Amino acid sequence: MAPLRSLETEYPIIDSNFQNFCASHGIFSVEDFVLHDLYELAAFAEQEPTSERLKEGITRVLAIIDNQHQPCLNGMELLEDAMKNKHVLSTGFEGVDLLLQGGLREGLLTELVGPSSSGKTQFCLQTAANVAVKHAGRVVYFDTGNSFSPQRIAHFVGKISGSAFYQAKDKVLQKAMSNIVYHSVFDIFTMFDVLCQLEFELRSQMGRGRYLVQLIIIDAISSLITPVLGGGSQGRALMISAGFLLKKLADEYNVAVLVINHTVGGEGGISKPALGESWKSVPHVRLLLSHKHGSNICNISILKHPSMASGKAAKFVIYEA
Amino acid sequence: MTAKGWIDGDETAGDMLSRLLTEQLPFLLLPPLHRLPLRVGNVVELVGPSASAKTQILMQAAISCILPKEWKDVHYGGLGRLVMFIDLDCRFDVLRFSQMLKHRIMEANGLSNEVQWDEKVGDLKKSRSKRKPSISCDEELFALCMRRFLYVRCYDSFEFLATLKTLHCRLQQESEAHGIRFYFLMIDSIGAFHWVDRACRPLPVRFNNRKSLSLRCLSETVVQEIRNLLLVHPMVVIASKAIITVDKNSANEVKWKFGKWFAPDTSYSDNIKSNTEHFKYHEYMPSVWQTFVTHRIVVQPTGSEFFILENVSIVRIKSSQSIYRNGYCHHSNLWTNLLWEMLVSLLYLDVLPWLI
Repeated sequence: MAPLRSLETEYPIIDSNFQNFCASHGIFSVEDFVLHDLYELAAFAEQEPTSERLKEGITRVLAIIDNQHQPCLNGMELLEDAMKNKHVLSTGFEGVDLLLQGGLREGLLTELVGPSSSGKTQFCLQTAANVAVKHAGRVVYFDTGNSFSPQRIAHFVGKISGSAFYQAKDKVLQKAMSNIVYHSVFDIFTMFDVLCQLEFELRSQMGRGRYLVQLIIIDAISSLITPVLGGGSQGRALMISAGFLLKKLADEYNVAVLVINHTVGGEGGISKPALGESWKSVPHVRLLLSHKHGSNICNISILKHPSMASGKAAKFVIYEA
Repeated sequence: MTAKGWIDGDETAGDMLSRLLTEQLPFLLLPPLHRLPLRVGNVVELVGPSASAKTQILMQAAISCILPKEWKDVHYGGLGRLVMFIDLDCRFDVLRFSQMLKHRIMEANGLSNEVQWDEKVGDLKKSRSKRKPSISCDEELFALCMRRFLYVRCYDSFEFLATLKTLHCRLQQESEAHGIRFYFLMIDSIGAFHWVDRACRPLPVRFNNRKSLSLRCLSETVVQEIRNLLLVHPMVVIASKAIITVDKNSANEVKWKFGKWFAPDTSYSDNIKSNTEHFKYHEYMPSVWQTFVTHRIVVQPTGSEFFILENVSIVRIKSSQSIYRNGYCHHSNLWTNLLWEMLVSLLYLDVLPWLI
């Protein structure tokens, strides 16, 4: 946070006299200002010989603080933004799209939970392929276990485009593949690094109309978070921060975020989503995936959704190559 | 002030009572909670684990607040006041909110749940109702209500504090623009940044009087700011708080301590553990926040797929007599096939007699 000293060039009202006055009350930065009771400070300023100028300075800093938080919107503005900018991205699975009223919604953080080999990665690959072809949007794919398969994506793309002509198919494939940006990450810090870069890119794009990234996939976020959990609050802090960063990206740049979570054995041998109770309040939507051994039919059910009852379920098929 | 004036006091108890009775507004929480005697200036904490409908309760209360009492000869029973919603969880779904508001408006117009609302065409598909309200009127009311709802989201404690610091001017502007005052300040949820702030260990400060960005100091400032705000804008503060239960009883064997319903209030401690025997959780908010809270509502969903059991405990603290009741209701195969909005409307219609 900016020290008051650095604000002087931009705002001449914050001069050395004002800085000294603030320093005498233990205020050196804008952050200190936020922690301080400003009514009290104004009362102290009253006693100073240059009270008018000091109070003007306080108002100025308050105006700076006012720009530090997200804009305050009324319900109509919010709704307009949601209608105009938050589109629904089809996953390409008919059953899932029906269940979720169209698919993954931009602005939301969707979590997909499932045991090992329940089709989580296949779900991600299919969704990535579908968004890249049908919505022509950029997909940022975080892979934590080298499970990403470009061949499989190509296969899905071929199925989606469905064109008989070789050349047309090739063109679609070229375009779709270049729309998917792949990142191999093995620890949470690399993920933060890439996400922050992405945020910077998106912010610089902002003036130029449409933001290109439509979907962020993290397969699997639990393998990044689990190693830092346990032993003190640092791990949990990282987990919650990651959640806030993803939700911020999702809302501000109209991106749908899909994260994958594993399951762990709970009480009585019933498996439950990993990452514990504190994670529960992070995602908007939680979906549970299960898969019967030996068939390619997957079962997906809603664990949590802002506007749907939990427990609703649907079936979908993952086709073999 | 002269000594005489000081002894005389401000008003008699009778005056005060009549003043309070006229000031008291109908409280707008869902039916089991509407009996909670709340007044402007109270700070209510809505406590419950994840997925216990905390945000739903807030949204319902907000809708009741922004709806007018009457509009074009239709009774809506609302309060016609403004709501400020501070979203710390960043999970507020405006589509859901607008859906619920439309549902309430249609309900008041005597339209049943099954009527399909088609926004694009702007007419009602197949309405069985005798009374057909004009749609333009509804849209107008809808827009009016939505504008009475103010929303801001925060991604960290600093943004939250910056929001609170500058909220006064914003509330003033909005009040003047609408010509009505705020009734609710909602915070969802107050403990959202707990883990991040707890892990943040600020460097030792070089100056004695400089405040550090510690968890305690942040909470103190939050409380102080809300307190300052309440002086200028008398409102009811409702803050939801997600908690981690340490409930040993699983959903299948919930024990009800009926004998404890009107148990005398034991001295209030920082830990709620002793108060509600079947519902235990770790209190993690600093004591400065806890002492700021005047009412605490505990919501807890305890239901397997075929057994719905909602328990609402109201623990009113800081008073010699504790209001502490439990209510429960069994509804087999209700939960599973039910959409959330239907459940919420059932709750609204007081079908579930939670409080006995």
